[in-house]
Amino acid sequence: MRGHAKNKPVMIAIFLAPVLVLFCAFFLYPLVFTAWTSLLRWKGLGATSFYGLTNYIKLLSDPTFQLSIRNNALWALAQGFVQVPLATLVALILVRKPRGWQLLRTLYYLPNVVSGVALAMVWVVMYNPQYGAINALIKLAGGTAHNWLGDPSTALVAVMAQAVLYIGYFMIIILAAAMNIPLELYEAAEMDGATALQQDFSITLPMIRATLVTSATLAMAFGMRHFEASFLMTGGGPAYATSTMGITLFLKMDALRYGEASAAGMLLIGFGTVVIVLLRRVFGRNDPMSEQAS
Amino acid sequence: MDALKPALHVVLTITKWLLLAFFLAVALLPLLWLLSNSFKTNLEMQVSPFALPKAPTLENYVNAVAMADLPRLFLNSVVVAFSAVALNLAVCSLASFVLAREIFKRREFVFTMLTAGILVPIISFMVPYFVLVTATGLYDGLLALVLVYAAINIPVSIFLISSFMGSIPKELEEAAIIDGCGFVQRFTKVVLPLSRSGLVTAGTFCFIYAWNEFVMAMLLTSSVSSRTIQLGIRFFTSQFVTDYTGMFAAIVLSIVPSVAVYAFLHDKIISGLTAGAVKG
Repeated sequence: MRGHAKNKPVMIAIFLAPVLVLFCAFFLYPLVFTAWTSLLRWKGLGATSFYGLTNYIKLLSDPTFQLSIRNNALWALAQGFVQVPLATLVALILVRKPRGWQLLRTLYYLPNVVSGVALAMVWVVMYNPQYGAINALIKLAGGTAHNWLGDPSTALVAVMAQAVLYIGYFMIIILAAAMNIPLELYEAAEMDGATALQQDFSITLPMIRATLVTSATLAMAFGMRHFEASFLMTGGGPAYATSTMGITLFLKMDALRYGEASAAGMLLIGFGTVVIVLLRRVFGRNDPMSEQAS
Repeated sequence: MDALKPALHVVLTITKWLLLAFFLAVALLPLLWLLSNSFKTNLEMQVSPFALPKAPTLENYVNAVAMADLPRLFLNSVVVAFSAVALNLAVCSLASFVLAREIFKRREFVFTMLTAGILVPIISFMVPYFVLVTATGLYDGLLALVLVYAAINIPVSIFLISSFMGSIPKELEEAAIIDGCGFVQRFTKVVLPLSRSGLVTAGTFCFIYAWNEFVMAMLLTSSVSSRTIQLGIRFFTSQFVTDYTGMFAAIVLSIVPSVAVYAFLHDKIISGLTAGAVKG
């Protein structure tokens, strides 16, 4: 016992210090910085002055930013109410361990380890009006080719569709919860003559309710911060049809309107927090932090 | 009624396999299509985009490596990704050790604060990251990306490593204390070696993130010499304006490392993703 009772608090502090330094620099400082500068009139390198809530008022009354908020809300709805239900459907099938279920689980997640840049470029070519695979399939079925990403009325749906159909992430989380249900419950139901479908509705779904709520909450939080696929596939166009709050933030920053960019950042954080808090209120106490994203 | 049951069963089974096949197609076909076309000439791709390559050629790969300065971009990404993983695991294993195995004031608070970072939309930090990196003179250097990627992965790594370290039996440490191990040795000789599996899981998530990250790399670097592979394939598209299959080859090469890591360590990724789900 090398008298560690005395210097233990010091050792604990030393072990925590590196993480806390990085966390302060890249999480806490940015948060305070964004909150503060969102209240400033600040254009790039020039001097700053206090601006009150003017940046927020400017943004919220800007029709293109309103469109961005609406698009993020639509992303949140699509991820929470389409992606997660589809993931649940597949998880309910895989939980019965059909042949090859482990391989399928691994392959469904594969697109999640491929970079957003690569996926975006592949899908842009897939949607290409001249030689894209999607239009080739449509023509094969007797339809006419369409410029999916170039038409403002279809661009948002086209970008969302490819993202929402990648179910791997939520499927793995939901499947793990479903596999954790005690088998005795199913044996009892089996003896009562319940069909597989009845078992899904009376046992599996109620038992994984907490995980479903957590997944939907996370999915909607991801939707409220959606940025990358839209930025890479359409840059927010055509005519802001696929713009999101993150894209507005980037464009404001690019135009050296740092104050407005910071206000967009605060609204991005704010809307995401509202979604999480609201869903927890509605569906009860489920801790989204017990899951982790990648 | 009973006569209908076998028919219903058949319909359900077919529906089930159709669903599984559909999502498999969505996950794999675009990538397989990319791979297949990367072995074709541009003419062949336009004439028969869906067929397998008739006479597979490696010419696209040769062109991609020559035109896009790919080796340099690859080296940058390798340096950034491995350094970010090393830094992230170093700082997170130290912190996780005390968070999982020591009792001190505000422990819960520190753990909650660090893991709550997962809920923060990182893209909202574009302005402060840019300002911080510029002010410290790190702009347009790989070190900036290493620091940012290591830091962004702190919440995930702390969660994974500390829950792994928490599951190591206390008796092992008590035996080490009796053998005369101090605070540091308990970490280096007992807990750290036993946590290898948790470190690999956290490191895999961090590697895949760092390899694939695009936005911050775009924001924090400007010159070709500090470009990562993601920026490279994004910006060199202009060079491939008429050469789609060459672009495909470059994209395929950029995907190989993260898919290779996933092929070897997919069970770690899946166990990492499910670590939180079981608690629900």
